[in-house]
Amino acid sequence: MKLKHFIFAILAFSGAVISCKDYLNIPPMNVVQDKDLYSDVAGMTVYLSRMYSQMPFEDFKYSPNRQFFDDWLVTPGCNDGASLGRDAGTAMTSEGSARNGAYWGRAFNLLRDANRMLETLPTYKSNFSPADYNHFIGEGYFARAMVFYALAKRYGGVPLVTSVLKYPENPAAELEIPRSTEEETWNQVLADFDLAIANLSTSSPKRGYANKFVAYGFKSEAMLFAGSVAKYNKITGLGQKTNVRVIGFDPNTAAAASKKYFQEAYNAAREVMKSGKYSLYKKKWAANDKASQYQNMVDMFFDASSPENIYIKEYKYPDLTHGYDAYNIPRQLMGGNGYSAGNCPTLDFVELFDGIAKNADGTIKVFDANGKYLLFDNVTDIFANAEPRLRAYVILPGDVFKGEVIEIRRGIFTGIATNGIDPLRVVNSGTPDYSVSGPSNYNQVDAYKALGAFAGQKSLFLSQNGSTHETVNLPNGITMNAGGKNGPFTSDGTCAMTGFTVRKWLNPNMPQTLVLEARSEQPFILMRYAEILLNAAEAASELTLAGDAAPGGDNYQQIAYDAIKEIRERAGADPLVSVSDLTGQDGLEIIRKERKKELAFENKTLWDIRRWRTQHSEMLNGYTQSDGAYYKGLYPFYSSTTGKYFFDAGLDEGRRRFRLTEQEYYLLIPDGEVSKSPVIDQQPGR
Amino acid sequence: MKKIFYTVLFFLTAVSFNFCKIDNYDEPQETLKGRVVDVVTGDLVLTDQGSEGTRIRLRELSWTETEVSDNFDFNCMKEGIFQNTKLFKGHYNVRIDGAFIPLLRKTIAGDTIADETKYIDIKGITEVEFEVQPFLKLEWIGAPTVSGGQITATVTVTRAVSPADFKAKVEPMGGYNDDMLNVTDVRLFVSQVPFVGYREWDNRYTTQISYSGNSFDALLGVPITITTTGVIPAGRTVFIRAAARINYATENIKRHNYNEAIRVDIP
Repeated sequence: MKLKHFIFAILAFSGAVISCKDYLNIPPMNVVQDKDLYSDVAGMTVYLSRMYSQMPFEDFKYSPNRQFFDDWLVTPGCNDGASLGRDAGTAMTSEGSARNGAYWGRAFNLLRDANRMLETLPTYKSNFSPADYNHFIGEGYFARAMVFYALAKRYGGVPLVTSVLKYPENPAAELEIPRSTEEETWNQVLADFDLAIANLSTSSPKRGYANKFVAYGFKSEAMLFAGSVAKYNKITGLGQKTNVRVIGFDPNTAAAASKKYFQEAYNAAREVMKSGKYSLYKKKWAANDKASQYQNMVDMFFDASSPENIYIKEYKYPDLTHGYDAYNIPRQLMGGNGYSAGNCPTLDFVELFDGIAKNADGTIKVFDANGKYLLFDNVTDIFANAEPRLRAYVILPGDVFKGEVIEIRRGIFTGIATNGIDPLRVVNSGTPDYSVSGPSNYNQVDAYKALGAFAGQKSLFLSQNGSTHETVNLPNGITMNAGGKNGPFTSDGTCAMTGFTVRKWLNPNMPQTLVLEARSEQPFILMRYAEILLNAAEAASELTLAGDAAPGGDNYQQIAYDAIKEIRERAGADPLVSVSDLTGQDGLEIIRKERKKELAFENKTLWDIRRWRTQHSEMLNGYTQSDGAYYKGLYPFYSSTTGKYFFDAGLDEGRRRFRLTEQEYYLLIPDGEVSKSPVIDQQPGR
Repeated sequence: MKKIFYTVLFFLTAVSFNFCKIDNYDEPQETLKGRVVDVVTGDLVLTDQGSEGTRIRLRELSWTETEVSDNFDFNCMKEGIFQNTKLFKGHYNVRIDGAFIPLLRKTIAGDTIADETKYIDIKGITEVEFEVQPFLKLEWIGAPTVSGGQITATVTVTRAVSPADFKAKVEPMGGYNDDMLNVTDVRLFVSQVPFVGYREWDNRYTTQISYSGNSFDALLGVPITITTTGVIPAGRTVFIRAAARINYATENIKRHNYNEAIRVDIP
């Protein structure tokens, strides 16, 4: 017993002596040290991998509803009016149900990594060739610029953390950084992009890395945002804690700032254009050949060698995948997870395109001069001459996808059609009502309920969902389901609920058995040459309106005209008549419309309508989003007595209401961040 | 063995309950009652009940645990009165924002020009009255009539604050523009509940008339007749309310001034 105590005492004492030895004072073996990471290009690859995994890229893992780094229910377009979806579906007014937390909190992780690299790498400069060293420094600034840009477009002014904050060396209270003004924040975005451009290599040293022209591209996009906010924003105010103008611009400096940013946007876009490295994808394109123009625009999203791609985010099964195909596939080709048609283009979007017969107000023509439905021999006839770009982006009723005819039919009309067919949206013998007070779905109309003009004679047959159908025996003896294989159905949202379903990004070669969540691997194009042309055109138009003279012998209007002409030609759209089409405010509207068409479903349009500040004020079918607005669908019907098709255009049956108040252009700072900090301000007024 | 287990469980349970002490803070039971009245006429300033109506913002200044006190917001009732019966005793700043000249006015640089908010001790039942200068005043003229499921009502819209007074107070805040004074829209809101307003309206029946530039100036004080849209089914009871606003946002929201909601039975 005594011996045991003695041994314990000796052991305890010897431990105390050994612990004083210097040779035991070694860094932990399980933590990678700076000297290892910053030792060579391979070490930096590890560092950059971590940075890139946190980059705020709005790709197949981004949705306004769930924000970044979440690939569930990704259906781009559903929040900006280009499409409707049953799962995602109204204006973005907040960060939604971001499972990974608001971007406010996450942004600072990558910011720290970037700042740390920018501060530490110079110590190890001798380990790298000058070219590699400069490129890595450029990557640091690029990441920082992307983070500040992502923050600024959501929140306005943010804390400009441009160095590594050292804790616990400094007390937490000293590390509090208040939000800067929105103008200072955009200036920081500008400065960081410029440093990235100055340091990055002209071509990416490794697949997926940035390069000078990637930075130019995003710079032009970001500066277009800044210039637009400075010009169009009306929401401003001073932070309650700091008296700093955390959102909006000082009215005295806004005009000058707007002009400066548009100039930066223009010059950055022009640098990409002048480099000659990129061009619009036209490998299959042929003049006056709609079929090849269509195929060209389908292929361009899958061709890895496309000269149009400036920056893409790649995926690879099984390491890094997404589920775009599973969520957006037409109902008829639904995969094993049971998702489909999460992204149904609106008629409002389709009506933007050329090659469709339209009324004077720009809406699609579905009635003849007597107010009776136009009858078509084939369901495809109404879009027979449509702009090829529309067909490449949207699956229209009766189009072919993966070798199958995509059947989109709302129902079958069995009534007499000898004197034409009257508008369907009639309730209780009233007059046809296509306003919001009219019938919201076809189950309510007289033809379906056998009332009014159809008393005792049910003349409309519908499918309530994808598995139980009302059927009609056609004169030729065939029994036909009322709804098409893709609906639209009355009460089943997995269908083409607007009468359309999306084609863009859908892999046309993916077998149906593989249409599963986390199985898709096509890349997302984050920046392509068409956007550069559109950025240049819009900035040129804005600068002309601001009375600015073009730099370097350029002619703003000519540059804008050439850009739009090139894009329209590739798309197979109607060409502009002359340069003067792009004059003034009307010219700007033409450029904006082209942008909405070309860049739809690429997570760009929502930011465009937000920076133009038109999202809350644009008149949509009689309402603005600030009062609550609705989009339209186009519903194909088959007339069994004539064997022809007709189309009913009207408000979306689901009456999805988009509502955005002007304040919501700036997302709320998470409440917890505001209440725990003595300096972080909530958005003024909220 | 089982006995030991239950004994241990008993003690653990007893110990865990020992941590549950009664909260050392009294429940909030003070009441703040308030009225928002027009400084000229003494009438209550009617409002919407939602976030586009009059907002009351409390900041408890006697609370020093956090460096900057949090905002505690709630909305005014449609009659222009407000009440909160669950407040902690303390010293507060009470600020209201609505369709009237801002009480707290600052320059572009953030310097305070005027602070007409109230600094009060809330204890027991504390009553407070804010005298404000609403932008517009709306009044019904006669009773609304109903024909074929459509309601026709007549209202007058007048300025409750003179353009000169508006300019004198708003211009020092920067970015002033005469366009701010223009009436942009007059609406006849319809709803099936009495709390009708911007956040509670039936868009099948509600009518909105928009005015561009200063085109409404000629109509100030002139009776305006508005008819609802759509057909309200017979037998329904609805509530209607007229609202108008000028092209000026307080706390970044362009808020409407209202008249009182009235009940209309559709025969």
